[in-house]
Amino acid sequence: MGSNMAECHPVAFRWPMKAKLNGAKLIHVDPRFTRTSAVADLHVPIRAGSDIAFLGGLINYVINSKRWNSDPFFKEFAVNYTNAATIITDDFKDTEDLEGVFSGLVKFSEPPFWPYNGLEGRYDNATWQYKRTPKPAARVEITVTTAATGSTTKDLIAKRAGPPFDDLVRSLKPGPAEKDPTLENPHCVFQILKRHFARYTPEMVEQVCGSPKEKFIKVAEMLLENSGRDRTSAFAYAVAWTQHTYGVQMISCCALLQLLLGNIGRPGAGVMALRGHAAIQGSTDVPTLYHSIHGYLNAPSALRPHETLRDYMAAETNPTSYYGNLPKFLVSYLKSMYGAAATAENDFGYDWHPKILGDHSHIASFAAMADGKVKGMCCVGQNPATSLNGGATRQALRQLDWLVVKDNWLTETATHWYLAPEVKSGEVKIADIKTEIFFFPSTQIAEYDGSFTNTQRMLQWHSFAAKAPGDCRTDSWFYHNLAKRLKKAYAGSKLPRDQGWNNVSWDFDPDAGEEALYPGEISARKVLREINGYQTADPKQHLKGFAELKDDGSTTCASWIYCGCYPAWDQNLTARREPDPPGVPGAHLKWGWAWPANRRVMYNRASADLKGNPWSERKRWIWWDPTFVNPPDPKTGKAVPRGKWVGYDVPDFGATKAPDAQPKPDGIGLDALSGTQPFIMRADGKGWLFVPAGLVDGPLPTHYEPHESPVQNPLYKQQTSPVHKVWAPGKPYNKLAVVGDPKFPYVISTYRLTEHYLAGAMSRWLPWLAELQPELFIELGKDLAKEKGIRNLDWVVVSSPRGHIRAKALVTDRIGVMHIAGKRIHHVGMPWHWGWMGLSTGDVVNDLTAWVGDPNVSIHEGKAFVCNVEKA
Amino acid sequence: MSDTFFSGAPHWTWFIILYFFVGGIAGGACFLAAVLDWFGGPEDRPVVRTGYNVAAVGAILSGALLTIDLGQPLRFWHMLFQSANFPAIMFKGWSPISFGAWAILVFGFFSVLSALGGMAEEGRLQNPALRAVGGAVRGGSGLAKVVGGVAGLLGVFIAGYTGVLLSVTNRPIWADSPWLGALFVASGASTGAAALILLGLRRGASEQSLARVSAFDTKALVVELLVLAIFIGSLGSVNRVWLSFWGLVLLVGVVWLGILAPLRLHLQRRPVASAAKLVLLGGFLLRLATIFASEGVDRYRVAAGM
Amino acid sequence: MAEAMGFFTDTTVCIGCKACEVACKEWNQLPAENGGIRELSGDSYDNTRRLDGIHWRHVRFIEQFKGPYDGRWLMMSDVCKHCVQAGCLEVCPTGAIIRTEFDTVVIQSDVCNGCRACIAACPFGVIDINPVSGTAQKCTLCYDRLKVGLEPACSKACPTDSIQFGTITELRTRAEKRADQLKAQGVKAALYGADSDGPLGGLNSFYLLVDEPEVYGLPRKPQLPTRNLAKSAGFSVLSAGVLGVLALVGLRKRRMDQVGGSGGSN
Repeated sequence: MGSNMAECHPVAFRWPMKAKLNGAKLIHVDPRFTRTSAVADLHVPIRAGSDIAFLGGLINYVINSKRWNSDPFFKEFAVNYTNAATIITDDFKDTEDLEGVFSGLVKFSEPPFWPYNGLEGRYDNATWQYKRTPKPAARVEITVTTAATGSTTKDLIAKRAGPPFDDLVRSLKPGPAEKDPTLENPHCVFQILKRHFARYTPEMVEQVCGSPKEKFIKVAEMLLENSGRDRTSAFAYAVAWTQHTYGVQMISCCALLQLLLGNIGRPGAGVMALRGHAAIQGSTDVPTLYHSIHGYLNAPSALRPHETLRDYMAAETNPTSYYGNLPKFLVSYLKSMYGAAATAENDFGYDWHPKILGDHSHIASFAAMADGKVKGMCCVGQNPATSLNGGATRQALRQLDWLVVKDNWLTETATHWYLAPEVKSGEVKIADIKTEIFFFPSTQIAEYDGSFTNTQRMLQWHSFAAKAPGDCRTDSWFYHNLAKRLKKAYAGSKLPRDQGWNNVSWDFDPDAGEEALYPGEISARKVLREINGYQTADPKQHLKGFAELKDDGSTTCASWIYCGCYPAWDQNLTARREPDPPGVPGAHLKWGWAWPANRRVMYNRASADLKGNPWSERKRWIWWDPTFVNPPDPKTGKAVPRGKWVGYDVPDFGATKAPDAQPKPDGIGLDALSGTQPFIMRADGKGWLFVPAGLVDGPLPTHYEPHESPVQNPLYKQQTSPVHKVWAPGKPYNKLAVVGDPKFPYVISTYRLTEHYLAGAMSRWLPWLAELQPELFIELGKDLAKEKGIRNLDWVVVSSPRGHIRAKALVTDRIGVMHIAGKRIHHVGMPWHWGWMGLSTGDVVNDLTAWVGDPNVSIHEGKAFVCNVEKA
Repeated sequence: MSDTFFSGAPHWTWFIILYFFVGGIAGGACFLAAVLDWFGGPEDRPVVRTGYNVAAVGAILSGALLTIDLGQPLRFWHMLFQSANFPAIMFKGWSPISFGAWAILVFGFFSVLSALGGMAEEGRLQNPALRAVGGAVRGGSGLAKVVGGVAGLLGVFIAGYTGVLLSVTNRPIWADSPWLGALFVASGASTGAAALILLGLRRGASEQSLARVSAFDTKALVVELLVLAIFIGSLGSVNRVWLSFWGLVLLVGVVWLGILAPLRLHLQRRPVASAAKLVLLGGFLLRLATIFASEGVDRYRVAAGM
Repeated sequence: MAEAMGFFTDTTVCIGCKACEVACKEWNQLPAENGGIRELSGDSYDNTRRLDGIHWRHVRFIEQFKGPYDGRWLMMSDVCKHCVQAGCLEVCPTGAIIRTEFDTVVIQSDVCNGCRACIAACPFGVIDINPVSGTAQKCTLCYDRLKVGLEPACSKACPTDSIQFGTITELRTRAEKRADQLKAQGVKAALYGADSDGPLGGLNSFYLLVDEPEVYGLPRKPQLPTRNLAKSAGFSVLSAGVLGVLALVGLRKRRMDQVGGSGGSN
């Protein structure tokens, strides 16, 4: 669901097809009958944007099914490995109680200094919390030797306690959460979700999704049949689950279903995020995103209590999970940022680190740009002139003083000032555009060294295959040399704000003896070594894993999750290419390197039962070997009791932590969790069915309509997510359709084709790919074509409130009419790869999309909106 | 549905159509000339010489047309000799295009000799070398008869093998009937006769000669019509390809204008020239229609009804 | 001669990604049509449309639907069949088309003179002129790669192993196993060209299909072009004979009449 894997991840689709040959069943739930559907055992049509209704229907069906209630596996998994039994505060109100919203909804007012958060409402999640018994006051009993014993967090911050920061972390520990293992308590998570999803009946699914009831039930039965001790089912999704105003909740809903089915942390299970090709995964791990710093730590923010290093630690550290080690991650990161200048005295340079002011995501930045709030932009490997409300985006670009475009070709973004449709039509005059545009020719991926991180979190090193022509340079060359120039420019400045630049550590020039690939090029190996980390005192002593990280500055590590990929100066594990031999389960631990710690299946403790035995022989992955003789602790020399987690994968758990281990009363980090809590990154070590914190739009997934929808929400009075984002609301360049707008009666989804890549810079200029899908088209059903007198290959005009474009009609039965909430609704779809440059050209489909998006991650809603189609 | 609909069109168009037409005329004319050479009287000599001339010019023209039609014209000799193993002969007895290439060469050789012999007979050769060659095979001599006879037999072959060539493919129409070669033989005979009539008039052919050739043409046309009917009949369901412009050409151009109209003229003993012109037109249109009707079939789509 | 090598194309796992087409063009340096600037075909996702001199691989897309979302979408990567009895090789007048040591059929570009007999001879419509070379071209089963022990570019690139490369013996065993597996699942699966006693002595590039061959653009019973030779030649001789007799009798008889009538004045 939410993915067209065969078309958009054809290489990875090799494995589902192999599984199919081995007897696996493939189900594809999609608004279109695609190349994925063509090879699936079952295709179920679904209206774009209604996936939560479908998944919610599955949840409701599953927990009321005979199989789920009769096979003890499911309850055993749910009670012990999820928070099903946890009791939520009495004040919590569900969507059942509040007509589609949760308790805690408050109005949001945009701050004057950065009014681009796009929010009208937000949730205060105080009522979503676990019901807890008070903290044990017995602190005196605990043997701790620091002066801070018994201090409150506030005291510790005021006293500038640490390093070490253990006491600060310990002071954050809450009291234990109340639970009801019988799952009977009406306030326990299971009962709440049971009530929450009760209205998601098969009939309702048919109404909301347009999916035939029989097909829906078939999916549910197939999933149930294929889940349990002996079998597991996996979901794969891609951007068709993210590009919504509630995309995160769709994925969350799937995770919920999978936890209920016992399909997490086990081989052949899980929720597979099919991320963009090459290094999209890498770009969030070592982020090019505004809201996080390396390793999924939140970016220091001016809007949160992040004033000082300790404030940040107090606000962001989760004391009872592996994230209890956050101070170690953070300090090692700051050491990487500021090198020798980062000392315990100056809080490792934390104050030099930039802080964010709000939503600086893509659309927010362009909304600000349109208001003239952004002077310049470096556009590297991106083609925004053809993306997300293209008309508004280009209007924003025209407000810039300068624009750097670094790409393989003169893209639409580089040429919008004289070739954009509004310029060609005379609506915008070239003379009025003041932007100065600089173009830098770019190398292609095969022309430099580096690592990719694929969607399985696996880093794979690659070496350049050929040198780039002419002056083409890498992106790292560009930023490396820009940084060097900026450092030079700020050198000597005494202004406090410039000290970050003056102190930033920037040493990526190749060492003596290492040849630069291009003049001025960085050493890619040096960058990966910096990311892996080393002993601060001796950079040649690499860190072997994040367990070695320290919070006192003695270790330097840019990204804790990558720590261990380069465990010795000359040992680049990402360059390994040794597959497992045929006939074994195939964790392929010697192929590349996967974070964290080369684990291939995360939370894999869940692949064994409470006692540490595999759930079944067939689904064996890691298990507890009580007879394993451990060597003595290398640090203390003390003997270690027998027993170890062993198996095919690297255990995602304390390697020698026995299944019967109990949490240490005053322990932090993993010491706060028992031997049966597999979800070591969660505060309670459990998979979250109910999400008390971390999501801004609700603790349970709830079906809302897309911002633009032809129907009223059939499930709730609340039409859309009450906290979704609308940027530039009311602006003429971001007009939005009202519910059931008769001018835009059809549901449209945008998507990609195998033959093209994103905005086309890597495909539309390439003759071999351009000829395969030479022109923009719209896929529309035969019924709609008949109604509108459109024949195959006719030109049609497709319009939304933001604009209209021309495309050729591809009339097909692979998409068509659906019956939604009693209405007959036509579904159409368009691939969005085109623009006016290159060999294969066409109108910009994103001229139709709107600046509305998800409140968690600020992604736009490009997968479900409304349009009109007329014969040209 | 015929399996021939899944093959690809070889783009044999104008040059090849012209070649088939010219080759047919040359072959037919040469054959008739040879028959008259052997069995005719002295009053037939102009027609005999005309026939050899038509054959010689036609053979040379045919070679030229075939060569310029090649994708790599300079490699025309690859059809005769093994390019990697020159001068080893390149010959495949089962491939009409292979033995056809040789046939044209040999036909050209003999027909040019015969034509030279004819010219020598008329005393029109000035060049000493040509005069020597022509003199050796002076028209009317025994050797000339042998040479002319060989050329005539090869002429029949040239006229007919093109149809066989088309049949030895996997294309619609062509490979769907074994009668195309026979049809082209008949058409070659009729157009050859027509060419002799038209040119013979100008070359001082006797009325008797022309009357005989014309009478033969009538019979040839009847044979052609008969073979055409058998050919169409043998196509069976493939005939739906004729539901096109080319079907109209076949019906109006070939059957009506090219066969029935001249037959009528012949029977009415109207001026032979107009009938001959119509026969030539019909012969040309026959090639045009059979080639283009097949070339135009867009592969499997027609067959699959897509 | 090395063992016979070829392709087995399992169309049931083809995802229509066209990686085979691109890999083929890249390895063989074939140009895009009109430099890549083309019009949409409107025929499903098939913009390649055919096999020809610059498209040696062609993925077909066959939409079979009874109504919206109700049907199936067949895909198949088509290529030269490397027939054991090859029509193209049979008629080629220059000897450019040869059978290699791998039992594949290859057109030698430096020998071919572009007469195009092979195009019409191929029952599958595989061959056409490459406008760059002016000669007939088609899949060589990557003869140059085979020579150095590499597998062909297309099968190497195929992500789902729809295109499988190997020895014919092994591929046939594999194909029969797969066909049996599908049949056991109730799928109407059939092998096309896997039978050495079948048409053209078997195809060294054979297919697993789930519908009639015609649906995939394949002839039900492909034949050699020379099947028509004897008949066609025979009828031609017959026709020539009839006309010859008519000519001899007609032209000669007049002469006899004349001789009789005028007393041999010549």
